[in-house]
Amino acid sequence: MNFPCYIQHQCAISPQHTFKADIFSAPLVTTDDNMLQVLPPDYAGLIPPNALRRMSKVLKMGLATAVQCLADAGHPQPDAIITGTGKGSLQDMEKFIKDIVTYQETALNPTQFIQSTFNAVNGLIALQQQNTRYNNTFVHRGLSFESALLDAMLQLAEGKQLVLLGGFDEVTADQFQIKSHSGWWKKEKIHSADLLQHVSPGTIAGEGAAFFLLGDQPAANSYAKIAGIRLLNRPGAAKLEGALQTLLATHQVQPDLLLSGRNGDSNYQHFYEQISAALPGVPEVSFKPLSGEYETAHAFGMWLGAEMIKAGKAPQQWFPADTPWPSKLENVLLYNQYYGEQHAFILLQKMA
Amino acid sequence: MGQRVLITGVGIITAMGDDVQQHLERLLNVRSGLGFTDYVNTVHQHVLPVAEVKHTDAALATMAGLPGTDGYTRTTLLGLVAMQEALRSAGSPDVQNARTGFINATTVGGMVETERVYFDLTDPAREGEYVASADLLDCGDCTQHIAAAVHIDEFVTTISTACSSAANALMLGARMIKQGLLDRAICGGTEALTRFTINGFNSLKNMDRQPCRPFDQQRNGLNLGEGAAYLVLESEALVQQRQAHVLAELTGYANTNEAFHATAPSPEGDGAFAAMRDALQMSGRSLDQVQYINVHGTATLTNDAAEGKALQRLFGQAVPPFSSTKPFTGHTLAAAGAVEAIFSVLAIRQQVLFPNLNFSEKMEELDIVPNTELRTAPVENVISNSFGFGGNNASLVISKF
Repeated sequence: MNFPCYIQHQCAISPQHTFKADIFSAPLVTTDDNMLQVLPPDYAGLIPPNALRRMSKVLKMGLATAVQCLADAGHPQPDAIITGTGKGSLQDMEKFIKDIVTYQETALNPTQFIQSTFNAVNGLIALQQQNTRYNNTFVHRGLSFESALLDAMLQLAEGKQLVLLGGFDEVTADQFQIKSHSGWWKKEKIHSADLLQHVSPGTIAGEGAAFFLLGDQPAANSYAKIAGIRLLNRPGAAKLEGALQTLLATHQVQPDLLLSGRNGDSNYQHFYEQISAALPGVPEVSFKPLSGEYETAHAFGMWLGAEMIKAGKAPQQWFPADTPWPSKLENVLLYNQYYGEQHAFILLQKMA
Repeated sequence: MGQRVLITGVGIITAMGDDVQQHLERLLNVRSGLGFTDYVNTVHQHVLPVAEVKHTDAALATMAGLPGTDGYTRTTLLGLVAMQEALRSAGSPDVQNARTGFINATTVGGMVETERVYFDLTDPAREGEYVASADLLDCGDCTQHIAAAVHIDEFVTTISTACSSAANALMLGARMIKQGLLDRAICGGTEALTRFTINGFNSLKNMDRQPCRPFDQQRNGLNLGEGAAYLVLESEALVQQRQAHVLAELTGYANTNEAFHATAPSPEGDGAFAAMRDALQMSGRSLDQVQYINVHGTATLTNDAAEGKALQRLFGQAVPPFSSTKPFTGHTLAAAGAVEAIFSVLAIRQQVLFPNLNFSEKMEELDIVPNTELRTAPVENVISNSFGFGGNNASLVISKF
């Protein structure tokens, strides 16, 4: 895809100090529990108190991130609100499943059912912003966010000017346990900062929300241009390699940095090795030790890449001291794959 | 505005039947699919009518040509049956020969399986068991399985905007074809009845204990249904190249949001009005060129009042014949937009207007009543409405080709 698309504003709640924080001085946040959880901001002022009380973690962080992103932009009314989420409001879904059993299908509170609907965050954003325009939610596992990004780029290509794009997922104790059954997490407890050194089956869990205000025109304060994206479903090695080369050839760039979703999971490490090998001389850093693994982690990766491009520097204190940083950060290639099945490239470029 | 988007295949399974032909016969014979559930373990089994597909999971697997149900939820199996018919109906094209996408929709994905195993999955003492079930929680599961079974890999995604999901899937497919990203998109939705959704809607107190009565003064809520439906959309260029048979054209669509309430429409139907108006404008058709509207018509108090007012606002004194087919199929949630898009195609192909069952008394807040008889009429353009939680509204315009 090659449509004009510029990140005008962006906002993230993550396990790191990313929400209204100076990421270039904020300390690295780590865990020894194999589960990175977000640092919740003070939601008062972003979400009305009566609504806040009933909201799950993902509803709060999704809505607050969207609201703050629009506030940073001076409260524009976007032409579309498009999000991706792998699991939606897990807390609400879990509570409703349990209440059905506990109360034997009687006298159930509908709040959890309503909030477990996957488009609940989108509805809340539209309601709070009084936005009556295009509104869509993608729920396609590890390509939920990327599908939403594709829809957003289509909207801009169709003549819309501003699109609010978001990706969000939460981790819960139940969900951690469920995925543990399938061996998604490392059996040994590791220090999250050392994730990439522990190449073994599984990774560590994470969560977060990231929102972007995308425009069809460059603006004075734009973060970066989203030059191209490519989504792949169960590609073989040749198709993966071909997609990478086509993307780079189309834009005639050699990336300054590969910002990957490498996560220390030995089951799927070969995909990252393949992409790294196809880009000789291009330094690679991974965002997963900062975010943990979740369906829409690539949204955090894109947020981080755009922050680095705009500032022309990296939050180096979040990465190992021996990280080989490039001399310039103008073309950042993102590559992420989700459990071997779903792969995506996003090419970010510095504003001309 | 790019390529015209043509409908070249349809596939469906609901309580009304296992394929398009069975649905057509049952619509023409005016026989509802509503009954009670045999397969969902619920205290509401003999209380709340539902429109259930009367096949076990094992029977559905056989229909889908699978050796067994292993790894396939009911949601996936229903979807696979409808997908296979849609492809046959389109002349069994080689999906690897043209850029083919699959855009699926579901509201609760594999919940039908999840709710059976949830307490085992979350028990740390049972670590290591039920490995294959861990992914069933999400909505992408059915999509991935269906795509793999029919060898679609160019573009695959899943949409969930509550009851407007499948209409939004059709919209995205059409937009990707128009922008030249795909040559063919198979779009629709799949939904299995679950204890989760039955109790969810029951907790909202909008489930009727009788067969639902859309647009009736005495209406008292919806009945849930299950099923799957897909439409094959193709670019005009691909249709010409492979000399495909065209069933109808998707000429207009629009997605709007109510921005009013999490589960209720605005009283005057602002979102429904805007969605129908914008979709019709895109189609290039005028108000008087619409011969039939397949309304959302859930038979909840608020939907029918808001949707009816939107119809009156848009069409004034000349509201075309309209009906809700929910009393035939139940409300199939994420599949509903595709189920009713197929009914819209059938209305055009057969030149018939489908009746709104169970209507007897005009709503006091409206001046209009639904079409209650099966009758023949010239049908060139149909509006199909799908509205959902989160204020998500979608309207499609389907036209004779």
